[in-house]
Amino acid sequence: MSLFLSAVTVTRGHGQTRTPVLRGFTATFAPGEVTALVGPSGSGKSTLLAVAGALLSPDSGAVELDGADITRLSDGERTRLRRERIGYMFQTGNLLSALTATEQLLAATYVAGEGTRRHRPRAVTALEEVGLGDRLRHRPDQLSGGERQRVALARALFLSPRLLLVDEPTAAVDRSQADAIAALISDRTRAHDCVTVVATHDPAVIASADTVIDLDAEP
Amino acid sequence: MFLALREIRAARGRFLLMGLVVMLVAALVGIVSGFTTGLGNDTVSALRALPATHVAFATGARSDQFNRSLVDETTVTGWRQRPGVEAAPLGVTITRGTTDRGLEIDMAAFGVEPGTFPAPPVRRGTGLDAARPGLVVSGKLAADGVRVGDTVTVDRLGLKLPVTGVTDDLSYGHVPAAYLPLDTWRDIRFGVPGARTAADRLPRDASGVVLRVKAGADLTAADRALGTSTLPMSKVLEAAPGYKGERVTMSSIQVFLYLIAPLLVGAFFAVWTVQRAPELALLRAIGASRRRLLSYTVMQAAVVVVAGTVAGGALALATGLLLGAAVPFSLPAGTLLATLAAVALVGLAGTCLTLRRVTTPDPLTMLGAAR
Ligand SMILES: Nc1ncnc2c1ncn2[C@@H]1O[C@H](COP(=O)(O)OP(=O)(O)O)[C@@H](O)[C@H]1O
Ligand SMILES: [Mg+2]
Repeated sequence: MSLFLSAVTVTRGHGQTRTPVLRGFTATFAPGEVTALVGPSGSGKSTLLAVAGALLSPDSGAVELDGADITRLSDGERTRLRRERIGYMFQTGNLLSALTATEQLLAATYVAGEGTRRHRPRAVTALEEVGLGDRLRHRPDQLSGGERQRVALARALFLSPRLLLVDEPTAAVDRSQADAIAALISDRTRAHDCVTVVATHDPAVIASADTVIDLDAEP
Repeated sequence: MFLALREIRAARGRFLLMGLVVMLVAALVGIVSGFTTGLGNDTVSALRALPATHVAFATGARSDQFNRSLVDETTVTGWRQRPGVEAAPLGVTITRGTTDRGLEIDMAAFGVEPGTFPAPPVRRGTGLDAARPGLVVSGKLAADGVRVGDTVTVDRLGLKLPVTGVTDDLSYGHVPAAYLPLDTWRDIRFGVPGARTAADRLPRDASGVVLRVKAGADLTAADRALGTSTLPMSKVLEAAPGYKGERVTMSSIQVFLYLIAPLLVGAFFAVWTVQRAPELALLRAIGASRRRLLSYTVMQAAVVVVAGTVAGGALALATGLLLGAAVPFSLPAGTLLATLAAVALVGLAGTCLTLRRVTTPDPLTMLGAAR
């Protein structure tokens, strides 16, 4: 049970904006571990997450999730893979403005085509696990930046994905919140035993990671 | 419904506004349709009530036939002798009179031969009698205060007609109908005030010949032989004054409303979708299928459109009740339901114009984006 990328090459943009981003990137990611992707802005951290997360197909190379290559899947199959096997936590904009914290988690079961009602108790527990037991009925505009990221983490893990992809989780929150979020990501990764890849330049996140990959140092 | 309803609740101000607009459009469509039916009844209900399939008019009369056409007795007799045809003369003219209790009335005088099929059914009192003059009035005149037993004096001529019965609420050219024997009708149509023309000197004409035609009867040959031109009932309605003009006016209002409704709803959902684009991209990123996004957007459209339309229908009905009997407004349940269904359908069609945008937001924009 792992994520394996081999010789992944990605070019982004077309014509004038055509930019080579990854050239033959290879790495293995183990479950229960946090891997920090570091590198200066523009080094391809988000692109790598997009390729691993079935949002972007590489020009060449393979992406194997639990032994199966996901680069040849159809659009519909990739949508389904994202829904069933992958959790995402973005820098911002993770939440739906109309929903309460509890409902953000239920939105994941709604997207998966399951009912929402019977998952409600579990959603409450999941929010308690990220320290938001007293924010269940708050909407995004009633939560702080750090609280929103914690809801996002709980939502990303709510359907127990095999793969958790996190892009700059602490870029928009203050220092003390950032430390708490870094700790939560490590803690939840072990609890769920999932493969976690975090693109970051936050020292706290890097410090709590099990492995660090520097994209700038890649050949 | 999980997301659809919660988003509506969160944006209830905007959805309420949109619902109100749909409601007003639906109400307007309902009200216009009520007037179309009401005015239509007011113009031609007496013609619709004729138990006939066709009417034969004089060939020379091309439009407004009930006013222009005159057919003589030979023509009527000729029609009566055609195989597969039951024929009876009908005279139509609009006149006015005063009852012996001083009530002034307008009436569309329908001259019929008592005992023939165009003679009206009687709700109260007795029907027309060939032996003596008499008047069977529309229920509308009864509602205005004309009673069985009153005597109506025809203005200008001084002709006195006892009211013997009341028939249904029939009218012609916005004037309540009143039925009388064809001979009396000829007095009104052809009589000259002051000059006491003997009845046998008046033309023995009628406005047209009302026909009940069995399948297979050759109307073209009959028309050629008798010098008439025969119209089916649907065309006969257009021969009534004003009917066609009213129809065109009312239907063009309705057509425009049916065009406006989808554009309004479509514009609203276009803006709504653009505003939601970042959240739609998020939903796509976390694995929502295009179908799911489409279905919940259509659900939202259905909620506003259906709620707005139902409220609009209620408003149209309430308007009808408030207007009361004084105004030619008629909105039967079937008509209302059909109209509302049409409004709801075109409203939803308007949403469909914008649906493509629901599935276009790119989930990739979620990565590396600081919004
Ligand atoms: N849609 C695009 N078209 C063209 N170039 C792009 C596009 N998206 C990203 N890039 C380029 O790809 C490179 C890597 O981007 P990204 O993966 O977002 O880097 P990071 O997350 O490390 O900051 C950047 O140089 C960026 O300009
Ligand atoms: Mg990035």
